[in-house]
Amino acid sequence: MNNSVMIKGNKYGIIVVLSPDVPFEELKQLVAEKFRESSKFFDNAKMAISFEGRKLTNEHQQEILDIIAENTEMHIVCVMENDPATEETFKKTVEQKLMELSNNTGQFYKGILRSGASLSFETSVIIIGDVNHGASVVSKGNIIVLGALKGNAFAGASGNTNAFVVALDMSPTQIRIADMIARAPDKPVKEEVKEAKIAFLEGENIYIEPLNKSILNDIRL
Amino acid sequence: MGEVIVVTSGKGGVGKTTTTANVGTGLAMLDKKVVLIDTDIGLRNLDVVMGLENRIVYNLVDVIEGTCRIRNALIKDKRYPNLYLLPSAQTRDKTSVTPEQMKKLADELRDEFDYILMDCPAGIEQGFKNAIAGADRALVVTTPEVSAVRDADRIIGLLEANEMTQTHLIVNRIRMDMVRRGDMMSSEDVCEILAVDLIGVVPDDENIVISTNQGEPLVGSESLAGRAYMNICKRIVGEEVPFMDLEEKAGFFEKLFGKRKRS
Repeated sequence: MNNSVMIKGNKYGIIVVLSPDVPFEELKQLVAEKFRESSKFFDNAKMAISFEGRKLTNEHQQEILDIIAENTEMHIVCVMENDPATEETFKKTVEQKLMELSNNTGQFYKGILRSGASLSFETSVIIIGDVNHGASVVSKGNIIVLGALKGNAFAGASGNTNAFVVALDMSPTQIRIADMIARAPDKPVKEEVKEAKIAFLEGENIYIEPLNKSILNDIRL
Repeated sequence: MGEVIVVTSGKGGVGKTTTTANVGTGLAMLDKKVVLIDTDIGLRNLDVVMGLENRIVYNLVDVIEGTCRIRNALIKDKRYPNLYLLPSAQTRDKTSVTPEQMKKLADELRDEFDYILMDCPAGIEQGFKNAIAGADRALVVTTPEVSAVRDADRIIGLLEANEMTQTHLIVNRIRMDMVRRGDMMSSEDVCEILAVDLIGVVPDDENIVISTNQGEPLVGSESLAGRAYMNICKRIVGEEVPFMDLEEKAGFFEKLFGKRKRS
């Protein structure tokens, strides 16, 4: 039996494994044969397809798709790339775009988050009110609390290390930015004046500093 | 049309039952017709604090289950004829009634009474849900302790989620000497954290322990706590009462005297 062309599949799609050692013209014959043999099996199915085992140029890929279309009644809905490099680029671009979106867009929430409350946002969020002990806010972007932050805040939840947390009264139980966690000191520091502060990630550490012009200049969205 | 008020706290032991007894009695002293309902099924206390334990024949669960009529289960107070108690069942548990049944019961009592006070059990489970079901207003009791304030915060959140429109705060057992030394939160601190309206501050007063043990609410008496409770009652009926100074001269002399005696 000739194993130069193999079809693997499930309900939603098939993987065509092509031998890299056979000349392309011969391969086309084999593909035609293989699909003709199994055309009954595919019938009117709507499938996704991907190729494995051989690097195909766009022209070659198109030729093979044409052959499949000629020999079966199957509809190819899309061609899946399983080239890891391409996939990585795709993933990066999409995530980058989403991250920018979560940083640059935001929504307002008015109200006090009391103990036990937990809110999560796809975008940045501005909370008009306090976040009390035992409450938590999670955002893929930034978190700004126009009030006291006493509970937990998790900014950059999808891994954005540029995310930051701002609060008028910054006394959180825990702050997480991307994958770093900072917790409150065991001995609370008595502050004379409450001032607005920002928490941001630099290297392996989360820093909390008073808001001032130079820090604001360093913010990257 | 009567108003249903739930007295709740989240944390146990902060003074829900004592508050219910004193506020209820105080409202009766202001010539309102009042019924107190103990919703802490299985751990009933309100009857003891009111000194009415020996009069219990029927209870809340009997009324809900239709064993008796409301009228049969209501216990008339020994001091005020316009004050009644609906005691809780001791041999059952919280699952014996549902929030819908409690709401129905409260609504039935509205026609006859000016105020229906629900003494809520500690916790946020079934008992809490039963107690708040029919309430128009909540009195959240807390002490100036971090743990009690945390629980009060959670409770206020749950009340908001249940669309309670009026939530008022009572800061109980405050000790002004400790507040002055910075060892205890002031009522202002508590209010700032919880962000709800304060309706009363009750000082820590040993007379309360005596009164609850004797089953005689001390509201209206000359003690600081007694006056603080009466002020709460007046605020509930809509009077504007200024918050009293909890550090009075009398207290100061007593302290001096007390110290001299000890030394």
